[in-house]
Amino acid sequence: MMSSPELERELRATRPVAPPSLRERVRELAVAEPARPALPSWGRLRLPVRRVALVAVPAALALAFASAGVIGLVSSRNVLRDLYSDAASSVMAAPGSGTTATETLDSAALPQGANDQGTRAGALSGTLGPGSPTAAPDRAQRVSATLALEVADSDAVSRAAQETLALTRRLGGYVVSSSVTTGEQGNAQLTVRVPADRVQEAIVGLSGLGRIVSQNVAIDDLQAGVDSSQRRIRSLRAQIALITARLESETLDTETRAKLEARLKTLRTELRVHRRTVSALRAEARMATVAVTVATPDAFGGVVPASRLDRTLDEALNVLAWEAVIALAVLIVLAPFVLLAAGVWLGRRLYRQREEERLLAT
Amino acid sequence: MDAPRSVDAGPQSFATVAEELLDDVYGYLLYLTKNWAVAEDLTGETFEAAFRTWRRFDPRRGTARAWLLAIARTTALDWFRADARRRRREERASAVDLRPPAETAFGEGFSPELEEGLSALSAGEREVIALRVVLDLDGEETARLLGISATAVSTRLSRALGKLEERMRDHDVVA
Repeated sequence: MMSSPELERELRATRPVAPPSLRERVRELAVAEPARPALPSWGRLRLPVRRVALVAVPAALALAFASAGVIGLVSSRNVLRDLYSDAASSVMAAPGSGTTATETLDSAALPQGANDQGTRAGALSGTLGPGSPTAAPDRAQRVSATLALEVADSDAVSRAAQETLALTRRLGGYVVSSSVTTGEQGNAQLTVRVPADRVQEAIVGLSGLGRIVSQNVAIDDLQAGVDSSQRRIRSLRAQIALITARLESETLDTETRAKLEARLKTLRTELRVHRRTVSALRAEARMATVAVTVATPDAFGGVVPASRLDRTLDEALNVLAWEAVIALAVLIVLAPFVLLAAGVWLGRRLYRQREEERLLAT
Repeated sequence: MDAPRSVDAGPQSFATVAEELLDDVYGYLLYLTKNWAVAEDLTGETFEAAFRTWRRFDPRRGTARAWLLAIARTTALDWFRADARRRRREERASAVDLRPPAETAFGEGFSPELEEGLSALSAGEREVIALRVVLDLDGEETARLLGISATAVSTRLSRALGKLEERMRDHDVVA
């Protein structure tokens, strides 16, 4: 009787040894041994799938996050400007059309700290100063300005509205329209007219009433209309003088006199029209229109200026979401093929295993 | 138990590897086929195939022994398939089963009772005995070679040894 350890010992003791003829055959085969390449062959460069996946998956994720971060950082610079432009335009009614020059300023364009009370006016004048459109004193120009201000609460909205009216009166202007709404989403929309030569003073004063969200100054040149009307007035005056002289000096028949008097009447009517036009244009140019919107952050539709970090994170998340959508789409497209390939591979493997078991069962 | 021999080809030449592992490959194939003549042929085929693919062998992915044994196994399985086809053809050609009785020829060194006991085992059982006991491969290496789990290897080995032990006990009783 033999126990397992004894059996194993016997099995090892009777370990088969290849016959000399076979050994000689293999030796002959090995004589013409191919030189192993010094450099790795393509076969050796094949990377193990698991190790590659272990590196490739984290690398792909890192790349996705890094690209989202970079895109988020770059995009965040432009987001605030777009947001405020949209928000301000939805809150404010844009004045007039046919502007010849405009300057828009939003808080994103302001220098750092420009929204502090002490530096706001300086920053504003600095920003709108040399580069901004300004009314030429010797030309008739219509100046329109819109200003959106954000204040902390409803009380501040009321105070800002009152101060706007006071400032307007102080500058010699008047109120065109005024609408003040109190409550959680308090806001005030005022349109005032101030002397054109004091519009800059008005904007600086108004900008001190709250945090500037956006500002726009537009200038329409009216001088061409004035010049045209004045030229026509000079021509009309000359014609009127000529006709008047003829009517006084010459002996005219009744019919001719009647025609000249009718013509004189027409010219005088036209002259009055042109004089009124010139007066109206000059009056328009004398006063600038300023539309002021004062509102709480809620009234601006929750467009609170987020910090740079918040905006970057928002944009990065947005990019990540898109990357996920693309990855999902690719996955959906590839999934059937991958599943099919996996099924074929598994089936083949199972078949081979079964076949091997059957062959080795004999 | 002998210390496992480590033949990781690294900078070794094919001739050195072949010289060192020839007995292992031959022994494995002899256990698998239980016929020394067939084992010799298959060993030759194995080394020819290994010689052709020697440039592709990567020692970082496994030992030369595991690599050679894997080639030997594939070669043996091909032979088993061919043998099965041949037998089926012969069966179809004649209504009478003309198959010769299974030849058993382990060759020199095997006691009659061991040879008889091994012959009674299936090829799969002899294979696991050859790998785990005779060639002293560890469980993991054997599992990788056979494409099964280490637990399955252990179970199969235990069953094979038990069966062999029983056969040899029966032989002693008869004797």
